[in-house]
Amino acid sequence: MSREQILAHLRTSLTANRPWLQAEAERMPHEPPPFALPAQDDLVGQFVAELVKLEGKAYRVVSADEALAIIDRLIEETQATSVIGWDLDQIGLPGLPELLAARGITPAKADVRGEGRKARLQALEPIPLCLSGVELAIAESGTLLLRHGPGKPRLASLLAPCHIAIVFHSQLVRGLGEALALLTQRYGDNIFGPTSNLTFITGPSRTADIEMTLSLGIHGPPQLHVIVVEG
Amino acid sequence: MPQTIAFYDRVDHALHDSSLQTALHRATSRFIGNRASAISALGDADRLRDQARAIRAHALAHLDELLPQLAANVEARGGHVCWASDGEEARQYIIELAHARGVRSIVKSKSMASEEIHLNEALEAAGFEVIETDLGEYIIQLAGETPSHIIAPAIHKTREQVSELFQQHLGMPPTTEVPLMIRTARQALRQRFLQADMGISGVNFGVADSGAIVIVENEGNARLSTTVPRIHVAIMGIERIVARLADLGVMLQVLARSATGQKLSVYTSLISGPARPGEEDGPEEFHLVLLDNGRSQILGGQYAESLLCIRCGACLNACPVYQAIGGHAYGSVYSGPIGAILTPLLQPDLPDAHLLPQASSLCGACQEVCPVRIAIPDMLLRHRADAVKAGKVNPVEKVAIAGYTLTMTHPAIYNAGGKAGRFFSRILARKGHFRRLPPPLHLWTKQRDFPALPPKSFRELWAERKNQRRSSS
Repeated sequence: MSREQILAHLRTSLTANRPWLQAEAERMPHEPPPFALPAQDDLVGQFVAELVKLEGKAYRVVSADEALAIIDRLIEETQATSVIGWDLDQIGLPGLPELLAARGITPAKADVRGEGRKARLQALEPIPLCLSGVELAIAESGTLLLRHGPGKPRLASLLAPCHIAIVFHSQLVRGLGEALALLTQRYGDNIFGPTSNLTFITGPSRTADIEMTLSLGIHGPPQLHVIVVEG
Repeated sequence: MPQTIAFYDRVDHALHDSSLQTALHRATSRFIGNRASAISALGDADRLRDQARAIRAHALAHLDELLPQLAANVEARGGHVCWASDGEEARQYIIELAHARGVRSIVKSKSMASEEIHLNEALEAAGFEVIETDLGEYIIQLAGETPSHIIAPAIHKTREQVSELFQQHLGMPPTTEVPLMIRTARQALRQRFLQADMGISGVNFGVADSGAIVIVENEGNARLSTTVPRIHVAIMGIERIVARLADLGVMLQVLARSATGQKLSVYTSLISGPARPGEEDGPEEFHLVLLDNGRSQILGGQYAESLLCIRCGACLNACPVYQAIGGHAYGSVYSGPIGAILTPLLQPDLPDAHLLPQASSLCGACQEVCPVRIAIPDMLLRHRADAVKAGKVNPVEKVAIAGYTLTMTHPAIYNAGGKAGRFFSRILARKGHFRRLPPPLHLWTKQRDFPALPPKSFRELWAERKNQRRSSS
């Protein structure tokens, strides 16, 4: 059996090299720094500046109404009649269900599992808008952390050419180390209990595979709009 | 590039390919600049790199416990684990799985491990349609080539060459507008995703305590490959592991900065098993293939340190040899300095694997940029020594080294040689260089000029100055 064979090889190999590897391992503490760049006073400002550098769009708003106005404008621009989204109560923006209803938009369920998977995917493909919340956002890299799961499909930040994400001020942390520590604090060893997937999103989809020319949206959304609600 | 062409001929070919030279210069200089500014912006980059090295060393020191822990956690989440001793076992597992599930079409996101085991060829021979979905990989798949860089597989292609491929294979109208080419590829590949039955991905890190795999990318093709098809198969070299989720707080930061100079890559996915009950999307099945293929043996030898590698590609960009010849000249799956170490270990059957460690000036730029500080030049030297011990030495080189030894240990011969050299420099060199030297030295001047000797030797100058001083005082 290959498992036993591989493990036996590893044990034999490690009798020779474990001591120095262990010594290397002990040279430094492993705990990640909570953040890696010099600290800035204005976390929201830092987040926005980073996202803009990555060609993402960022909006600072102080009320839900302002956020709704931006979403309304983007619905208009994309001429969306449907959105691929999280369950609206998981996004938690007051007035969002009413806005979508007033616009005649029924959020499409991204329930592709089971029979007819490919047909469901084809039906979702033409929808122009993705709408999601976040678990956390990281200021120093302009990153969104999405913890997917029931009511929070992965496709709601992936399939359409335009992704709108709602971030509340309280969800903002400074660095990656801090974000990982907070996840563990919230969910202990059950981070992956109800979900198979966590995704960090840092700007719109990009590639430089043709002559190192930066291009957006090769596979994921070319447009990423993040609305930070500070109120 | 086929193995029937010898290493030196591949090098020669690369050095005389002017579009390749332009592309290499553009790519490596941009990568180097981006990396340097990302690293220098860090509060304490050295500490972060030392931490990365310690974390990876810990993972290797405990690989015999961490791998079973990762496997057990993946299985506890409903995933399947295949332990593959070699490429054959990995290929067989995936092919049997695909047959059993009635798979027809497969989408792939970038995986060096799958290149290592020539998975695509095997899947195609078994009758499956396999589409590479990373744009660079897709381009070289259309061209029937192999990746020339770990991070940017198609850096050797010009936009005109890509345009021709897209016109020929995707019916794109003639254009060299990059945005239009991107849109064409997006549309063509989107349909491939939606129709695929299986997605195959690589793994940047396995996280033992969470039973998760980490995939880092910029395009979103890995997210689509691991979300849309009904089955997800991930292939991971057994050494690519970290013990704890928190370790990612260090590793992701150094990986993105070293590879492309980004603070974090656009998409970092952490995937633990198949979709859970109640999740609306995600695959129904998740399979993790743990590929040994010689790694468990390497861990016990003098090249164990090379297993710390996180495949960022920084050493390729920094290497003056890679900058000049590109990835294909190496003729192996892994190119550049780290490739020159890994290839004789992972692909010992390649006829000129032992020559790759010679493709280095031992300048140390690779070790300087390595996020886990692998002593690459040391190991290149060890490989050279191994090749000599194994009798793999060029006879010309043997004679040359004997001559060198004789010269350097006999001052009279050294002085006479210097005089002869200066004489020929005076009458044959142009603008301080020899364009051509007679055999066997023509091997040097075939690809570069040889610097002429200065008119006077150091010892002559020394003696002159001493005399001047004496006469002036």
